Amino acid sequence: MLAMNKIKILGTTVIIIAATIIISSCKDKRSTGWEYAPNMYEHLAYDPDQKNDNFKDGKTAQVPPAGTTPIGFIRFDYANTKDGYEKAGLEYKDTIAASNQNLADGKILFQHFCSPCHGMSGQGDGLVVAHGFPAPPSYSKGQSSRGGAMKDLTDGKIYHTITYGVNAMGSYASQLEPNERMKVILYVHHLQTL
Amino acid sequence: MRSFSLIFKQFSRSVLLIAGFAFLGSSAYAQGDATKGEAIFKANCTTCHKIDIRLIGPALGPTVTSDTDDKWLTKWIENNQALIAAHDKKALDIYNQYAQANMTVFTQLSDGDVANILSYVRTAWKTQQTAAAKPGASGPAAETGPSDLVIYALIGVIILAFIIILVLNKVVITLERLLEKNQGLFIEEVAVEKVAVDRFAFARKLAKNKKFVFFTLLCGTLALGSWTWITMWNTNVHQGYQPVQPIKFPHDLHAGAMKIDCQYCHSGAYKSKNASIPSLNVCMNCHKTIDRTLNSKTASPEIKKIYDALGYDPQTQKYDSTKTRPMQWIRIHNLPDFAYFNHSQHVKVAKLRCQTCHGPIETMKEVYQYSPLTMKWCVQCHKRTNVDFKGNAYYTKMEAVHNLIKEGKPVTAAMMGGIECGKCHY
Repeated sequence: MLAMNKIKILGTTVIIIAATIIISSCKDKRSTGWEYAPNMYEHLAYDPDQKNDNFKDGKTAQVPPAGTTPIGFIRFDYANTKDGYEKAGLEYKDTIAASNQNLADGKILFQHFCSPCHGMSGQGDGLVVAHGFPAPPSYSKGQSSRGGAMKDLTDGKIYHTITYGVNAMGSYASQLEPNERMKVILYVHHLQTL
Repeated sequence: MRSFSLIFKQFSRSVLLIAGFAFLGSSAYAQGDATKGEAIFKANCTTCHKIDIRLIGPALGPTVTSDTDDKWLTKWIENNQALIAAHDKKALDIYNQYAQANMTVFTQLSDGDVANILSYVRTAWKTQQTAAAKPGASGPAAETGPSDLVIYALIGVIILAFIIILVLNKVVITLERLLEKNQGLFIEEVAVEKVAVDRFAFARKLAKNKKFVFFTLLCGTLALGSWTWITMWNTNVHQGYQPVQPIKFPHDLHAGAMKIDCQYCHSGAYKSKNASIPSLNVCMNCHKTIDRTLNSKTASPEIKKIYDALGYDPQTQKYDSTKTRPMQWIRIHNLPDFAYFNHSQHVKVAKLRCQTCHGPIETMKEVYQYSPLTMKWCVQCHKRTNVDFKGNAYYTKMEAVHNLIKEGKPVTAAMMGGIECGKCHY
């Protein structure tokens, strides 16, 4: 290439690399960048989490009509009161087998949904509690605020608590399906014996 | 004599009575040991009570300080259910005021334990109040660094000094010129013209230099070419996209420091196409009782946004359904409609960790798109990943059909899922 020496060639390369880095780095992180044919990317169909003006509340994910039961859903017809709690404690029984697979599933669900507060072994010493959340009572040693020891809680009482929540604990009905709640109860029964 | 003894008897009786009352009174209020009480309080009461604010039950500091009927308080703390069952008016009032929530029965606590708790709560409330009343709030602020005012003042002084220097410089130049004019010398202007001529000549010389022109053109072409190349490749690729969300939700605190599993909030990832953005009731599982960051004295404005969107009043702990509005999070990961992606297929069947595609979310204060989500990226992973068939329920049917083929038995379409509704009615 003409009479260029090595230094000039090297210099050019360095300048080009630097320019490329500078050009490619000045990207606005708050923007998605350039888009070609955006119609392909902006859906016509509604995503569940998307805004939707066709509904009054503006949401795509609508709640099922009151009183309907989805296929495969197990109803739990006990009121969110002390009486409902006691009644569920006497009448309700889990309908899944106490198999090893169900217990293992229950353990994973417990670790994901319950252990942040209740701790890995149900002693009420989770990491969220360590960050200032009020500690729940221990499954094996604590006393229930609704009477009796935590280790004596029955299927129905635990199911009622998971479904409606109590005191500082919220309702887990939107996060755990009925059969998942049963699996969690299986594992909680194991933790009650610790 | 007799009358004297009578008077003495009456006198002594009243003195004894007063002394007795005084002793009772003092013992009822000052007997408790606050340090012992603190241990019992933290072990039994903090699940539902705080000293300064309402949690599940009332804020204990002000309540117990204003109520000095220790006998009744002891009864209530040891067995509130018995008081309610006995239709005690005060007990029923509290029970109804707090939405008939049951308080745990503490029959294992002795009267002495309760006295210790009460004394701890009262002293703790007192110290909190005196600390709040102290005007020493400005002390720590000064330690953290200079205030904004000081910084602005400094910047102002620097700018002012600069202006003064410039003005003075100008004055000096004018004076010098005046001096030179008086002497009849115009060296300066001549010098300026000379420089201008030189400059143009240099540019002209450069334009005539073929090597230089070629060089510049080459550099320009390469730089523009590489810019075009990069821009074309990055069109429709949102990698690094980090929009400002309506609530500054810190993943590094929730998923990092507190190790809350991803599934706790994104519970759809295991069982649906969509990983699901949590509805605000999931936030309220914890934020019903947590309205501020740890050790902060004031409520967090970010958490207040949850309350506002739900029409929740933290004082009364009640929801106003007329004020609710959905939270409009901004979507970061967006696949075009022509590409199908299913979260459960990857998380449940392939047992991938969320971080494989989403990056180190547990360290992100603000989430950004970690992966390019391009077809090349998908294909590369699909080429390199071995399928784990062992004990994987998703593939049992497939394995069974293959075994039938090996044994030379007929396989129908129905056995391969050919009569599932979605095969025709999708």
